[in-house]
Amino acid sequence: MTVFKRYNLPVTLVIALLGLACLFPFFWMVRSSLMSNLEIYQYPPMPVPTRWRFDNYPYAVTLLPFGRYLVNTLTITLPSVVGVLLTSTMAAYAFARLDFPGKGFWFSMVIGSMLMPGACTIIPIFVAWTELGFNNTYVPLIFPAFLGGGAFNIFLCRQFLKTIPRDLDEAAFLDGAGHLRILGSVLLPLIKPVLISIGLFAFVLYWNDLLGPIIYISDNDMNTISQGLANFRGGFGTDYRAIMAVCVMTVAPIVALYLAGQKYFVEGIVLSGLKS
Amino acid sequence: MNIQHGRRDTLVAYLLLTPAIAGLVLYTFLPLVGAFALSLTRWDILSPPVFLGFDNYLEIFTSDNFFQASVVATLWFAGGSVVMGLIYAFAVAMMLNQRIPGRGFFRAVFFLPYVVPIIGTTIIWGWMYQANFGVFNFLLGLVGIDKINFLGNDATATPSLIVMTVWGLGNMIVIFLAGLQGVPKTYLEAVEIDGGNFWHKFRHVTLPMMSPIIFFNFLMSVIANLQAFGPAFVLTQGGPDNTTLSMVFLIWREGFQRNNMGHASALSFVLFVFIAVLTAFIFSLSKDKVFFEGD
Repeated sequence: MTVFKRYNLPVTLVIALLGLACLFPFFWMVRSSLMSNLEIYQYPPMPVPTRWRFDNYPYAVTLLPFGRYLVNTLTITLPSVVGVLLTSTMAAYAFARLDFPGKGFWFSMVIGSMLMPGACTIIPIFVAWTELGFNNTYVPLIFPAFLGGGAFNIFLCRQFLKTIPRDLDEAAFLDGAGHLRILGSVLLPLIKPVLISIGLFAFVLYWNDLLGPIIYISDNDMNTISQGLANFRGGFGTDYRAIMAVCVMTVAPIVALYLAGQKYFVEGIVLSGLKS
Repeated sequence: MNIQHGRRDTLVAYLLLTPAIAGLVLYTFLPLVGAFALSLTRWDILSPPVFLGFDNYLEIFTSDNFFQASVVATLWFAGGSVVMGLIYAFAVAMMLNQRIPGRGFFRAVFFLPYVVPIIGTTIIWGWMYQANFGVFNFLLGLVGIDKINFLGNDATATPSLIVMTVWGLGNMIVIFLAGLQGVPKTYLEAVEIDGGNFWHKFRHVTLPMMSPIIFFNFLMSVIANLQAFGPAFVLTQGGPDNTTLSMVFLIWREGFQRNNMGHASALSFVLFVFIAVLTAFIFSLSKDKVFFEGD
């Protein structure tokens, strides 16, 4: 056996080319966001601008209230992440640690709801919120996050909790700790990695949501970033340097978040996909 | 644990599960009943609903041309995205599982598109697909192919959206790769010792060992792609000639742009029944095709 394992060169070459192709749309977006409209509409296209026009970004922000949209998006996203973390951990603890009648039934209902096509229920849910007078507020966008936080997250958190030895809870229990104490001070610190995964995925999900805001938010000042960008593209269809700059500003925070928490994204995906 | 404990546990468990159970009731069961109830009416939100019986369904299945176009568009897009997506994701994962340098780096690269918001994805790709100035036509021009109106042509619009969707499937690659890393090396070596080649290893070890994961990705991908909304909403508005009129875009348009809540609800309910039946069918097929390792 040789110490120096040789790489599989043909596969490396193919994967490198595919990887470049995969990154190309990002490159093209950034490059277009730093051009004049004249350069953007040049054909054949030039690979990079003659001068990098960073002033496209301040210019784009004069055309739409990006800061306002950012605040709006965070106003929806942050409480939603809290709701997802809180209620999915609660449900996961019940499924992982407690014995109670109906456990199997409710667990299979939760798992089964992963298969539920959410798009089929948007109309009745919209009608209900409208009747309750919550149309054009953030309540319909945030509230669902507090309803269990999604079957995937409950499942993920339960799987992780089950890997933690029960002796720990028992010891705390003998010391007089209740369920809340056990979950809060014994288990939560131990399941931090999975909580970070769940939190990151929830953040991405709510940050990226397009259909929800489009259905519920009609007031322009209340738009989210995604929604604002969609409207902006409709209104300023040919001012591509501005559209691309806003596009970069929309994509960049999520990409940065992903690069910072890459490990947790991968672990979250792997756990949810494999331990079924 | 003794019986007293058991009773307290039950109470605590149901308290902890209250949000999740409320979610099932308020966001799944009741809305399904509601969708069905609304589907029996004609309702523009402004005036009171009018009871129609099954007229909306009758209309959908007999005279609604948009519905028929939408069935074709939805199946074409979802079918293409699922098949191309599974092949692409599995192939990339297989390659990432070979002896290559920088596996973690490449895994990050292929996963990255998955986190991009759909609005970003559609705008970037829409610009690259642009008929006159887009980079794809420039690249095709280099090899002597004439300009294609990717998103404006009946034949190319859906395939263009499929390619864009497949680009965003980084999560499937990561799931496949993790699964492949779990395939025992000893099994693969056993085939090698018996003189088996790449194909034998793939056919008799990798594929059966991976079948539960392939099944999982397949099912999730079918359900997700049958509900595509973003591409039609941002890029094509359902056109050209309704070839990209996905069912959820049609539901949105009927309900929220044309205020036909009854008709839109009937469409929603038809989509729900279709996905439910399809899911049950896929599960029944999987019984003898998917290899589950006993745990």
